[in-house]
Amino acid sequence: MVQTDVLVTDADQSGPFVRVTFSAPQIAPALAPGRFVLADLENYLRIPLFPARLGAEGFDVLVPPDHPAAALQPRARVDLIGPLGQGFEVPAAARRLLLVADTPHLPVLLPLTRQKPSETRFSGKNLVSFSVALLLSAPTAAELYPIQLLPTALEVHAVTTDGSAGHGGSALDLFPDLVRWADCVCIAGEPATYPALANIIREVRVGPGPHFAQALVVPPMACGVGACQGCAVPVAHGTRLACTDGPVFDLLELR
Amino acid sequence: MSEEAVVELAPNHKVGLALTNPVMPAAGCFGFGMEYGRLVEVETLGAVVVGPITAGPRPGAKPPRTLPLPSFQGGTEGVLLHTGLANAGAAAVVHRYARAWAHSPVPVIVHVAGTSPGETASCCQRLSGVEAVAGIELGLPNTADPDDVTATVRAARTAASQPLIVRLPLTSAAALCEAAIEAGADALTVAAPPRGTVWHAASGRFVTGRLYGRFVHPLALHALCRVAELAPVPLIGCGGIHSVEDGLAFLRAGATAIQVSGALWRDPACLARIARSLAPEAGSW
Repeated sequence: MVQTDVLVTDADQSGPFVRVTFSAPQIAPALAPGRFVLADLENYLRIPLFPARLGAEGFDVLVPPDHPAAALQPRARVDLIGPLGQGFEVPAAARRLLLVADTPHLPVLLPLTRQKPSETRFSGKNLVSFSVALLLSAPTAAELYPIQLLPTALEVHAVTTDGSAGHGGSALDLFPDLVRWADCVCIAGEPATYPALANIIREVRVGPGPHFAQALVVPPMACGVGACQGCAVPVAHGTRLACTDGPVFDLLELR
Repeated sequence: MSEEAVVELAPNHKVGLALTNPVMPAAGCFGFGMEYGRLVEVETLGAVVVGPITAGPRPGAKPPRTLPLPSFQGGTEGVLLHTGLANAGAAAVVHRYARAWAHSPVPVIVHVAGTSPGETASCCQRLSGVEAVAGIELGLPNTADPDDVTATVRAARTAASQPLIVRLPLTSAAALCEAAIEAGADALTVAAPPRGTVWHAASGRFVTGRLYGRFVHPLALHALCRVAELAPVPLIGCGGIHSVEDGLAFLRAGATAIQVSGALWRDPACLARIARSLAPEAGSW
């Protein structure tokens, strides 16, 4: 965890988002999907940024056009604190990873769409297959993240509320079958939708282990390091802090 | 006071509370001293103020606890924070952190939430024998009247062996300062962050908590100026300090030391920057 001035090396449009690339060799190596940095973007509170692409020397974020980071131009400098928090943990034994997101929260999960089989996924001399599926939802086709921008190896299940693309209705319609298939689920969406997702998991999976389903919860944060106690998230046995214990939590523990 | 010390916060106390720099973080902003790691150069500071703590454990307030305050230009200009004094309780906190505090390069001051005379006494008794605790800062309820202040500060004074700093509520600092001093305060912090209420639409309820932002600075400075006319003890200015100039204003108004609160969250490095600028050799004041 460091506080450092980093350089914006690129900024361009990527689907409905603005992609901002940071050169941050002091931070990037320890960043991971679901971990974050706090950026000083001229607000009283720093703003959390989650990597949408990770590299050894830097990282990309994807933000909506009205986000303070969307105004950053190449050669701008930004004061960052990070890396912070606990990210998604895909168990080494996982073979079928399910990602669940609505379009605004998809960037947090994008690094996981490029998840590759690790050495621990070799069985003898054979590479064990590792599949990633994405359940992606939006109100309409126009608001859906462009599928062609996603990795081709990714199995995408698109859902639109009005039926203008993919399945018409709710992500909850497809979730039960996908949960039966998956052995790890990573979710980034509106926390108000989490109880329904948790209930489906409890219905279709018997005794899902710890970290079977992990979900992102990002309340407003003041300090980002656990000093102010301001980002409490209710869990089964009290509260945890999003900045240090999260922002990725066991979905079934959330209250 | 040692030769290196530039500030004595408890000149009438048998041990005293001598600092080598007038700058410290405010209670409620710095955790228990470990959270910021190397983001804050602690050795540049005069002291650290950790806590708040209560006698027993408190789970803290139901979320939401942090509500950004929107500005006219878009973005935010401050924050309302309502933690409900979340902490593990005095005994657990001392057990967990006292060893680390003992290795702190600067004095550690523990903030006790003075919710009642009984709880205050219990908390201070637990801290009294802890060598790593150089001083106690006592917070008072916003609604405290002079009688409450007298009872709570006396309870703390009787129970604690360390120097006692009393943090006054902003809106009643001048009205309460004399009661605090007469009851045994060695120094006064002026002031606690003001309280405010925000409507939280998502949960459909009002949230009341402490306000942080630059807008607090003139309010706290005004309170300190009034207390400075009345109080013959060292004063610690606290509220809305975001720059060296903000801190200097408190020192010029009669403060002996200053505490940095919400600015620390946005820019942890500002603590060392302000401390270096206000170090005696910097000649700023």
